[in-house]
Amino acid sequence: MGTFGEYIKSALSSIRNNKGRSFLTMLGIIIGIAAVLTVLIIGDGMKATVNSEMDSIGATTITVSLDNTKTDKLFTKDDLDRIEAGLDNIYGVSPSISIWGETMVRGESFDMNLSGGSQAMEYGAGVKMVHGRYFNAADVEDGKKVCVLSQSAAKKLFGYEEAIGETVTITAYDLTGEFLVIGIREDTSMDIAYASFGDEPVYMGDVPYTAAAGVYSLNLDTLESFTIYLDSEYKNAVLSQARSVVENVMGLRGEGAVKVSSGYGFDQTTDTILTIITSVVAIIAAISLLVGGIGVMNIMTVSVTERTREIGIRKSLGARTSSILTQFLAEASILTFTGGIIGIILGLSLAYLICTVIGFAFSVNPLLVLLVVAISTAIGLFFGIYPAKRAAALDPIEALRTE
Amino acid sequence: MKKLVEIKDVCKIYNPGENEVRALNHVNLTIGEGEFVAIIGQSGSGKSTLMNMLGCLDTPTSGKYYLHGQDVSHMTDDEQSDVRNREIGFIFQGFNLIPSLTALENVELPLIYRGVGKKERDRLANAALNSVGLEKRKTHKPNEMSGGQQQRVAIARAIAQAPPILLADEPTGNLDTASTKEIISIIKRLYKEGRTVIIITHDPGIAEQAKRIITISDGQIKSDVINKNYKDD
Repeated sequence: MGTFGEYIKSALSSIRNNKGRSFLTMLGIIIGIAAVLTVLIIGDGMKATVNSEMDSIGATTITVSLDNTKTDKLFTKDDLDRIEAGLDNIYGVSPSISIWGETMVRGESFDMNLSGGSQAMEYGAGVKMVHGRYFNAADVEDGKKVCVLSQSAAKKLFGYEEAIGETVTITAYDLTGEFLVIGIREDTSMDIAYASFGDEPVYMGDVPYTAAAGVYSLNLDTLESFTIYLDSEYKNAVLSQARSVVENVMGLRGEGAVKVSSGYGFDQTTDTILTIITSVVAIIAAISLLVGGIGVMNIMTVSVTERTREIGIRKSLGARTSSILTQFLAEASILTFTGGIIGIILGLSLAYLICTVIGFAFSVNPLLVLLVVAISTAIGLFFGIYPAKRAAALDPIEALRTE
Repeated sequence: MKKLVEIKDVCKIYNPGENEVRALNHVNLTIGEGEFVAIIGQSGSGKSTLMNMLGCLDTPTSGKYYLHGQDVSHMTDDEQSDVRNREIGFIFQGFNLIPSLTALENVELPLIYRGVGKKERDRLANAALNSVGLEKRKTHKPNEMSGGQQQRVAIARAIAQAPPILLADEPTGNLDTASTKEIISIIKRLYKEGRTVIIITHDPGIAEQAKRIITISDGQIKSDVINKNYKDD
């Protein structure tokens, strides 16, 4: 329709004839769009920054557990072997057995926490060997009673750090076992946390879970959870693969009983929290956009009232209902579209400034910008429809009679 | 003479019921192509209602209106708009120009609604403005022109697309004597060029200018005579 261009032209000239008012109307849209865009971009930047800091750790873990409200099943040792075989790009799979016990050294008793797991635990966050070696797959297979101590544990128990070849005797659940120290590792943040546990420090050591099960007569076929060790590079791939592999092995397809969480659920939780915060602020910003839209409706209604006679003239000259409707809708859309563009420029500048000052990553999703343009135009159409319909429905005789 | 306007037993009733107003009461009227008619009546006589009816701005409560042989008495708003655009050129007492548009843009308006292309529109609008002697006022806005000039723009707008009927509602009501003379002479010229002209007025002096004078009162046609005093100027 060639006449459409004419409606745009007449809408533009009407906007130009009311510059001040048009700008004030646009201002509501400008502020609304700018606010929404700024919030969303800063939110994205915040998430990207937090995530990249988390990923820089390198090694990470994924914890898999079964929802005991949905299934009675538990993992067996065989299940873990089959799950490990089914997953790509991982260091390994390990049960997470924690044993609280005591050890006697030179007539003094210390609390010890033994972590029972597979050789994959060597890839846990912050694990670094300083003396000897970590236990290997053969040690785990044979249930060898060997142990890797943290530096602080070795110093405390034996008085010196390089305690390779020493034996540590640990009593738990009224059972006592002797473990040969084959390696010493750096203290991890966990060691430091446990070591400062109130008045009674706890010292930590890692043992093959098979050995722990043998000594303390634990059942390895009733495991509630296990841990996957992997490089964070593969985190998303493994996260998406893990659920289906575990469901297949456990025969739990489609029951929603398998819970998979990365990094002890920490970075997922932060991601969710950040998303919620961003959404809440964006909603508040969107309210200002809504108010802007109502402003457009208000001004358009005034405009229709002011131009009743003009509408009557146009109708008497042969304008159809749709022509009048189009003209006023075009006017409203142009106002909000222009306001949207200005708002985007303002929002991008503001977001860039804030991101730079705070130190967040600044990245703009072009889709987001397109979406914002679409939304601002849609606001014009939505809030323009009521006044435009009122204009189009005017009776030409009545309209011509108004002064 | 071919029939252009044929009104058959038309009534227009406002507020049907106890307080009903019969603005038009069984009116019959035929106007042929190329006639120059004045419809005269006091305010409240029903002449405005008749003018709205003739201009397809309103539909009758009962009766039929044939325009160019087409029944236009029961049409949708959009159909009425199309008929107005095609058949009728309005000249109003208050000029009814759009204040934000220039003279040329005002004249182009009905052509836009007809879907005439930009070039042709320009040509027709310019020709119409030239024919009413406004060559030099094309880019002026209504408030930059005198009343007489504004009414000439309105006439240009009415004739630009050469509609069969020129419908003038008190065309000189807002004008001084000099401008009135000017406008009447333009209207007469348009009649002589072959257009059908209908003037609605309360002023006998204006009605006297037309070839046929129809008097309306209380919603009924009281007399319909050929004006023996018509002067060709």
